[in-house]
Parts: sequence; structure tokens; C-alpha cells
Amino acid sequence: MAQRQARMSGSSKRSTDSGVRTVLIVLLVLLFLMIGLCCGTYMLLSRLFDGGEEPILSVPEAALTVTYSPEKELVFRELVDRFNGQGQETPEGQRVTVEAVPLDPEAMVNAVLDGGATFQAMTPDSSIWLGQLDGAWYDKAGSEAVGETARYAVSPVVIAMWEGLAREMGWPNQPISWQDLLDRAQADPDFRWSHPSTSSASGLLATLAEFYAGAGKTRGLTIEDVTAQETLDYVAALEKTVRYYGEGDEPAIIERALLEGRDFLDAFVVQEQMVTHFNTHRGGGQERLIAIHPAEGALWEDHPLALLETGDLTPLQRQTFARFRDYLLSPEAQQLVLSHGYRPADLSIPLDGPASPLTAQNGVDPSEPNTSLQIPNASIIEVVRDVWWYTKRHTNVYLVVDTSGSMRDEKLAQAQEALRIFLDQIKGEQERVGLVKFASRVNTVVTLDELGRSRTALELAVDGLQAEGDTALLDAVFVAQQQLKELGDTERINAVVVMTDGRENNSWIDLRNLVQELRKDSGVPVVVFAIAYGQDADMEVLRIIAESTGGQVHEGDVETIEDLYKILSTYF
Amino acid sequence: MNRTRIIFFVIIGLAIVIVAGGLIWSQVNKQPDPLAPEANDETLEVQVVSALPVADWVQGAAHQFNAEGHTLEGRPIQVTVTPMDGLTAKGRYERDELDPLPTAWIPDSRYLVELVNAAYKERLGRDVFLTDGEYRARPLAISLLSWGIYDSRAGVLEEQYDEISWQTIHDAAIAPGGWGELGGENDWGYFKLAISNPRKNISGLAAMVAAAGEYYGRTNISVEDVTDPEFQAWLGEIMSSMSDLSGGTYTVSDLALFGYTTGDAGQLLESDLLVNMQGIQTRWADPLRLVYPEYVTWFDFPFTVWMGPETSAAEKNAALEFERYLLSEEVQRQALAYGLRPANPEVPVTGEDSLFDQWASQGVLGVVPRTTAMRSPDRDVLQALLRWFDLNVAGR
Repeated sequence: MAQRQARMSGSSKRSTDSGVRTVLIVLLVLLFLMIGLCCGTYMLLSRLFDGGEEPILSVPEAALTVTYSPEKELVFRELVDRFNGQGQETPEGQRVTVEAVPLDPEAMVNAVLDGGATFQAMTPDSSIWLGQLDGAWYDKAGSEAVGETARYAVSPVVIAMWEGLAREMGWPNQPISWQDLLDRAQADPDFRWSHPSTSSASGLLATLAEFYAGAGKTRGLTIEDVTAQETLDYVAALEKTVRYYGEGDEPAIIERALLEGRDFLDAFVVQEQMVTHFNTHRGGGQERLIAIHPAEGALWEDHPLALLETGDLTPLQRQTFARFRDYLLSPEAQQLVLSHGYRPADLSIPLDGPASPLTAQNGVDPSEPNTSLQIPNASIIEVVRDVWWYTKRHTNVYLVVDTSGSMRDEKLAQAQEALRIFLDQIKGEQERVGLVKFASRVNTVVTLDELGRSRTALELAVDGLQAEGDTALLDAVFVAQQQLKELGDTERINAVVVMTDGRENNSWIDLRNLVQELRKDSGVPVVVFAIAYGQDADMEVLRIIAESTGGQVHEGDVETIEDLYKILSTYF
Repeated sequence: MNRTRIIFFVIIGLAIVIVAGGLIWSQVNKQPDPLAPEANDETLEVQVVSALPVADWVQGAAHQFNAEGHTLEGRPIQVTVTPMDGLTAKGRYERDELDPLPTAWIPDSRYLVELVNAAYKERLGRDVFLTDGEYRARPLAISLLSWGIYDSRAGVLEEQYDEISWQTIHDAAIAPGGWGELGGENDWGYFKLAISNPRKNISGLAAMVAAAGEYYGRTNISVEDVTDPEFQAWLGEIMSSMSDLSGGTYTVSDLALFGYTTGDAGQLLESDLLVNMQGIQTRWADPLRLVYPEYVTWFDFPFTVWMGPETSAAEKNAALEFERYLLSEEVQRQALAYGLRPANPEVPVTGEDSLFDQWASQGVLGVVPRTTAMRSPDRDVLQALLRWFDLNVAGR
């Protein structure tokens, strides 16, 4: 019994001990939970009310939006990525970041003037745009829009010419002038050259150089000079030899030069950096490009980084601008700039050092240019840009638009808006534009005519487009190019801009025969630019069509279609 | 109270002690962010707006000053420097656009102070910067406008005209055949004048006044002088050789960056030229030569304390502390590395780090031989010149 009681007592004690242990464990868990809860609450409250180092409810960034001209995409993106990668913070713990947005320089200026700019700083390809902006802003607001400015990279505008051609024209023993280029282009009907439209610095500067050459001056250009008939005749003669214009997408031009060599163009206007880029990327055995500085004088792309004093700049954005500017001028960034073929702003970096790609081997001479053309004041530049529309090589262009059933709703609506923008962008009333729509059948809705007469009809026709039926893509291209060839106008650029969102399924002509037609030497070269609209578009067929004429294919969607048409408008 | 309850309360108590201890520990050991702005209410903030040619030197000195922990009556002084062209700052003072108002201003020249004072006197009936007494404007460093010209081009002009002067520049500018006609190379193109945009940089405006001084052979220029049609025609011919009329600033940095491509010669600030001499030599094989003009325009970069009620007496005195620091021998000696001539007479222009010694072979002189100093023009003269520039050169 006693043993039993003892066993029971022992059992009861063990039971009590076990209960205590359980309570202890529970209490310990509670203890840790409470400590955690208290610490968490403390941290939360301290960050909310104590101005903690990293507020957790909102982390405002000291973000600065910088818009850049697209030709420096490669180097600028890398600079921005490296800057953001540093993870800089303000003393208050806010992240310092730069957001880079591409925009062509003319659009930058217009966005600021219209009050629709969503950026606080800009880095166009040339300071010319800053002068234009300041002038217009001064007229509007009585103050200057451009604040602090810094240059981090410069590059002269050159005529990129294949080495063989350059030697034929006298390089390196004698200078080559714009007049030499005109003489060559007029003497040789197969000579093909190109410069961008005046919406980019290289195009604007090339155009200015032509007006200077036409006026027989290298400085002191006046409005009278620009509008004198002799000057206009000279520029028009030179412009007639241009194959087609472009939006200043210099990397795309170099890409094509790499692919097609001299078959692409004999010469084209770009910044020196692009010549370096080509020569460092060309394949073995491929001919070199040479950077020719026109004898009359060069002009520079100086890539300024400018703070805009037009909106409500926050102190944080000013700080970010200052930090980004300092980074761009740092030794690391300046070496990167040089490695991309630009001349860095840091003068302590020699252009002829071992790390410099600016070598004779790469077709450039860093001791050139010897002189420059005078950059006229903003009002004369404005007149040059306006007058250029009358002197430039005019265009016959057919817009060929897919209105098959798959284009219904948003796709067609966006395409219509893009077509309106295209028409709006072409300022010259002498440019001829026609409209062909295709679905199951091909229909020439508006016959080719000068915009001065056909603009309203085109706008109405665009408004009236409806989506229905199959996709007779090949027939539509055939009809458009046939009409251009029948016109027999060799003075103008003849082009077709075709857009489709689907696959060919209803044409009489097949691809092989269409390509034969396009390549047929009728004396009237027609170039086809194609837009593959959406993922279902037959990219391969469009590529074959475009490349058989020396044209290009662009991919687009409802988000980008307007920009694409806007870009293509600069080709004409 | 049974044992379980006792243990429970002990643990709760322990938890409270641990949490309270943790909170106290975190407060006691809270490390201040070294980059955070000084949170101490006692700190005396001195905001300085500085002219661009001295801004790097003043900023460097401010960093040293802050790091050395200077105090005034036991309160630490913190100096921040904002670089701003003198002409721009003058405009912002006059339009009340400086917010907050800086404690001190270092303009390019004393006459900018006088112009701002005159504007405020019209409005407030009193000076906002003092010209005498303890708070008077005191020069910090000195520089002057001198000709900077590429060696190759200087040789040709001296051969042709014997000297570098505004008249020489004028004759070179109007040569229809450009450098070929002047005896230089044809591929140098026309003569290109390097001069700052007078709308954006005070040295450009001062250069135009200096040109007027040489044209009339005197140092005091009036509105009648600058509106004389013959003078305007002469000046117009000179300015027509500027390489960029599109509205850019054009500074010595541009002369260095674009070389003889965009500027053969120009009248620019000596200190800016000196700072860029090495870079020019590295980038362009042709070195730059300095030539001192007959009519000299001096810049004295005065340290000027704002006397209005917007800043406290303690802040004004803290600004004076910084001024004394800038005028100390050590800091004045540092100015030599920025091409500036020390204002402190105890500090010679020559010596270690002196750009004046380094570039003596390129014509740089420690003592300027000619003493015909241009007098400060009044506001009407400056405005007449700017109006003429806007209408006839900038095309506004």
C-alpha cells in the first residue's frame, strides 16, 4: 500500500513537474512573442513618427527624369544604369535615381513649350535645340527655360564615306567639300547618299551646311541668303540626290551599313562616333568607313545635359541632377564615353592614348576638324528648317493599310490615329501622298496627289476606314508600287509604307513574283517600308518585301504604332 | 501565490526589462548619419552664392572650413556654396528670386554689387550690401580679361599686324578670305572669335566694354559711346566672327573642348584660361598663348554680406568668419592652383602649384605690365550693349 502510495505520489509529482514545464515553455514562447511584438511596434512607431532612416510607409525617391536623343541610346543607357547601380541615397535616406526616356530633340523642345513635358532634364544631340527652346520660351514667358548645363561627350558631324570612294574623291590628300559631293552625285546617277531630316542635329547641321555652301559663305548666313533663289536652287539640286531621309536613327543606319556594305549607301551624314563604331564592329574584309570633315567647316554634336527651369523642380531633383552631372564627368564615366567613340569632356583624357578608339585605323583623325561653320541665331535656323521643306527631295508615298477583320476595334483606331499623325507631320504641301486599303480586295481610296490638294480627302478617308475581310497584302503592295512606277517620276523619292497585322491569305500574286516586280529595273526605284503591327503579322514576308527594295521593316503594336508612323514621316 | 504564478510574473517582468533595456540601448547608441544635415539647432548656416570663376576654389575652402569645425560663440558654422554667374545672380537679386536669401554673395566684380545696391535703393531706400565698415565688400582674389590665342594663329596675326588687339581682331574678322588671306592655312577657315555670350556670362559683357575702351582710347564709357552707329558697326563686324550665335554660353571650357575648330582667339578670363591650358595642350597639339590687352578689365570677386533682416546678426558674423578664412594665407595660396591672383598681398603669385609659373613660357605674367584699367560702366551702358547684342547678334 505504502509502495502504491509512494508510486502514486511519485506519479503525481512527475505530473506536476510536467505541468510546470509546459507552463514554462508556453510562457517562454509568449515572452519571445511579446519581445518581438514590442520591438516590431517600436520600429514601426519610430519610423512613422521619429523620421527613421528608412520610412516604411512611403519611400519617396529623388528621381529625375532625363530625356535623351535616341542616337546615343547605347552609351546613355549604360551611363544611367551604372549611376543607378551605385545605389546612392540622399542624407534623408531617399534613393537617388535617374529615369531615362528617349525622345527626338524636336519633340523635346515641343513638349516643353506645350507644357506637356514629363521630364526635368534633357540631353539632346546638340545645344542648338537649347537655343531654340530658350528663344521660344523667352518669347512666351520672358525668362529662359534652360538652367544649368554640362557637356559630357562631343562628336563632330561628318560625312561617312567608304574608303574606296573617299580615295577616289581625293582623301586624304585634299579636303572634300559639299560641292564635291554635289558634283559627284550629279555626275553619277547611281550615287546614293543620305542625311537625316532636320528633326535631329546631324540632319539640321547637314542642311545648314548645304545652305552655307549654296550661299557661298561659311559664316554670316542671313535670311536673305537662305531665301535667295540661287541658294534654293543649289540646295534643291543637292537634295535631289538624297536617297531618302531618316529620323536620325544613326545606330540603325550603321547596322544596315554593317549588313549591306556599300550596297546600302555610298555616303551618309552621321556623327564621327558612328564611324568609329562601324569600324570597330565591321567584319573581316569589309571596307572601312572614313569620317570626312567637309572643307567648308564642321559642326558639332555636343550632347548637353540641361536642367529645365520651367516646372516645379524639387530640391531633391536638383540634388539628383547635380549628382548625375558629377557622375557623367567622373573619370569612370568619361572613359566609358571614350570607349564608345565619343570625345570626352574631360580634357585630361588624351584622344590618342592606347584606350582611344579614335584612330586612323578606325577612320577618324582626332586633330580634325580644323574649322567650323558658324551656327546662326535661332531665327535664321528656324527659316532654314522651314525653307528646307521646299528644297528637299519631294516624295510620292502610298500609305498601304490593312483593314482586314483582325484589325477591328482598338487596333484600327490606333492605326487611324497614327495615320493622322503621319499626315500632320509632313509639312510640305508639295509632298504627294495616296492611300490604299486592303482586306479581301485592294482599293485605292485616295489617288496620289499633292497634300495641298489631298490632305482633307486623306483625313476623311482615314476616318472612314473599317475592318472586315481577309488579307490581300501582296496584291496591295503590288498595286501601290505599280501606280508609282507608272507615274515615272524619277525626281522624287517613291515609297510605299505598308502596314499589316496578319498573314497574307487572299492575293493573286505570290511573293516570288511580287519580289521580281519590285526588283525589276523600271527606271523608277520604289522603296518599301513595312510595319509589322502586332504579334500575328508575318514578319518574314514583310522583311523579304522591304529588303528587296532597300527598305526597312519596323515592328509595332497598339502602344507604339503612332511613334512608328511619326518616325517614318521623317523619311519623306 | 503558487509557484506557477510567481514564475509567470517573473517572466513578464523579465520581458518588460528586456524590451525597456533594448529601447534605452537603441536610443543611447543611435549613430548620427554622417551625411545627414546638421540637426543641431545651434548651427549657424552660411549660404554663399559664388561667381563661377572662383566657385571651385570657394567650394574647396568651404569643405575644409566645415571639416575643421569652426565655431562662433560656441556655435558651429556650416558653409554651403552655390555657384552662379554674376550676371544671373544680379538678376535674381533684383527680381527677388533668391529664396532663401544667401548670407553672402561673391560676384565677379564690385560693380555688380553697386548695381544691385542701386536697384534696392530705388525700392527700399537703403543699401543691402555695405561699401564700408566691418561688413564692407572685400576682394577675395583677382583676375582679368586677357587674350587667349592658339599659338599657330598668334604667330600669323603678329606677323600681319604686329600686335594682338581689338583692332587686330576686327581686321582679322572682316578678312573675306579668312586665314588664307591673313597668311595662315586655308583650311583654318575664317577667323573665329571666342567670347562668352554677354547674356549668359559677365565676362562677355565686360569684353564688349573693353572693346569700346580701346575703340575710344579711354576707360570711361558712356551710353552715347555704345550707341554711336560707327562704333556699333565696328563692334558688329567683330561679333560677326563669333562661331556660335544660337544662344550658347561659350566659355573657356568650350574653347578647350572644341579647340581652334570653333575659336581662334578671344578675350576671356585669365584664371579660366590658365585652368584649361594643360587640357588644351593635351587635346589639341597647338598650345594656347596669353597676351595682355592695353585696356584691362579687372575682376576682384568681393565677398559681400547681405545686410537685410532676412539673416541674423550671428549668421552675418559667421559669414565674416568664413571671409577671414578665405583671406588666410593658406587658402589664398590654394587660389593659385585655380589660376587666381591672391587678394592677400602677403601671398605671392609665384610658388608651388602656381599656374603663373607653370605657363610663363606661354606669355603668362605675374605682374601685368599695363595699368590702363577700365572703369566700371553704369547700368545704362550695360543695358544699351545688351539690347544692341540682342537685336544685332542674337537676333532676338
